[in-house]
Amino acid sequence: MNVSAEALYVEPTLRSARRPLAGHIARSLLLILLAGYTAFSAGPFLWLASMSLRTTSEISANHYALPSILHWEKFPAAWFGSSYGTYFLNSLEVVVAAVIVLTLIGAMAAFAFARYRFRMNRVLYFVIFSTIIFPPQITIISLFQVLVDYGLFNSLVGLTLVYIAFQLPLTVYILESFFARVPQDLFDAARMDGYSDGAIFWRVMLPIGLPAIATTVILNFILLWNEFLYAVVLIADDAKRTLPLGIQKFMGDQLEDIGMISTGMMISVIPVVILYVFFSEKLIQGMTAGAVK
Amino acid sequence: MAVVTLRNITKRYDGGAEAAVRDVSLDVGHGEFMVLLGPSGCGKSTALRMIAGLESISAGTLAIDGVRMNGVPAKDRDIAMVFQSYALYPHMNVRDNMAFGLRRRGLPRGEIDQAVSETAALLGLSPYLSRKPHALSGGQRQRVALGRAIVRKPKVFLFDEPLSNLDAALRVSMRAELIKLHQRLSATMIYVTHDQVEAMTMGTRICIMQAGGIVQTGAPLDIYRHPVNTFVAAFLGNPPMNLLPARLDRGQGSTLSVTMGDAQLALPPNLGNILLPHAGRDVIFGLRPEEICESSGAPPGAASLRTRVVAVEPLGAETLLVLAAAGCTSEIVARVSRDSMARAGETIDVHLNLAAMQLFDPQTTEVIPIQQEH
Repeated sequence: MNVSAEALYVEPTLRSARRPLAGHIARSLLLILLAGYTAFSAGPFLWLASMSLRTTSEISANHYALPSILHWEKFPAAWFGSSYGTYFLNSLEVVVAAVIVLTLIGAMAAFAFARYRFRMNRVLYFVIFSTIIFPPQITIISLFQVLVDYGLFNSLVGLTLVYIAFQLPLTVYILESFFARVPQDLFDAARMDGYSDGAIFWRVMLPIGLPAIATTVILNFILLWNEFLYAVVLIADDAKRTLPLGIQKFMGDQLEDIGMISTGMMISVIPVVILYVFFSEKLIQGMTAGAVK
Repeated sequence: MAVVTLRNITKRYDGGAEAAVRDVSLDVGHGEFMVLLGPSGCGKSTALRMIAGLESISAGTLAIDGVRMNGVPAKDRDIAMVFQSYALYPHMNVRDNMAFGLRRRGLPRGEIDQAVSETAALLGLSPYLSRKPHALSGGQRQRVALGRAIVRKPKVFLFDEPLSNLDAALRVSMRAELIKLHQRLSATMIYVTHDQVEAMTMGTRICIMQAGGIVQTGAPLDIYRHPVNTFVAAFLGNPPMNLLPARLDRGQGSTLSVTMGDAQLALPPNLGNILLPHAGRDVIFGLRPEEICESSGAPPGAASLRTRVVAVEPLGAETLLVLAAAGCTSEIVARVSRDSMARAGETIDVHLNLAAMQLFDPQTTEVIPIQQEH
């Protein structure tokens, strides 16, 4: 007689449950460790948030104090007075466009590589994936020349195309390994239900692949939002700078104005935090999907 | 209902030395429940997928109702398939899973809803229409997969080992449901399985496959009683048929006996006369476990064999005895009464119903015809 796996499973008993004092000590040590790591990770961020609401003179007087008065006016001052608004919108335009195109093209490419057998499948996949090994420092000069030749130097469109090109291999890699795990029967069932390959991609694969797609969206957004090297080489005009360039310029001009630097950094961090809050659950699902059948 | 015709169907994969399906010809009639049975890797699922249109056909012709289907896309064949893994769309609820195929056809929403509701009621799924697959049990998922096929009202239903992922008790109940469904719909169904119990209980005909080809096709009991070779004889039946090396020896006059190990069993006169031309020949002696009983209940003059009991397996409704006969290299399994008092290590005499025996050629493994009434 078959017995289901659930019936055979026995809940393991922690040895510490049989020795309460040892269990308390172990848990206390673990809490101390976790608290220490949390302070180490979140501390700088909280300090930055605190400084963003204090003036430079207040910070100079006491580096680590909490704000006695919340100087919210610093944010509009940074946005309008220091062109942070312009840099923010440039970054948003470039990164959002790049992430949308990366997600669409990357997902389609990953779907083709994962689900179709064609002659050059593995060769093409390897060619795309192997470009990851090239650091930006190797390709930047050639890219500069290519963009100049095509009239895309010092343009947000050119920067967007570069971002798409260098993030595509990672996107395809992450999505291809996820799509390859989707059972073939699902595709066969959809084919028998009368759906074309394109319809199967949009109506079956994308919804199922949402955890992996969320992972790539978050990773791409964070990487591109903070990207500095390509932007500093390929963008010349102040009006077209992205946020990392804007912060760098601001630091150069106003090196002593720690308060405004902190405020500017907070402006750049907030969208990433918001994105993570919305997508983090899917990110965890994407990372653990397939770990347990 | 539809007629499905396969003529010399062959499937060869790129780089494959052997064909996955070799020269398969089969006719499935209107409303028939045809079971493709065989061990893993025999080509039964590949054959089914070629009928479905999910695999291309390397050679041969497939026709449904006389219309050639080679190269016709799966969606245009009017076939529905139930998969081993259920293949339910995890991001859709039961209602949407069942309606997915109908929506593609552009049917009015009201018509789709009605079809889904009726099918759900038929399968007892009405309370679960808003649930997603992960919130259903294995049996419920399988019924949703079934419902998704039924709602399309196809010409042919294909089943690819749909009960394999269920536990034993659920498999028994789902088998009964499928039989009832077939009777109710009178649909043409082609069912793939490696489970001979499913094949025997569900099929109007069984097609046994091995190594990409068809070995035997026929009604379940016909194949069970008259296997064409040792593979079919051993594959059907649980426990399988006893297959023992033996020799046909001629006795006085026209009497014939079967020599197995140290034992010599006289054949009944009618069998002896039929098999006389094969005297002196080595054979494989086949006898089903239920044709062997303890001698206490045997009729007089029956062929008796002295054996040593190796193991006793009480199953509740019956008992299996694993026996060793002197000189025989293989053990013999007998299905005896549940009240058997046999113990391991004992020496007992068993009765062999030689009227039900099968003889096979040791080289070709094919059956040696014995024309007799059972």
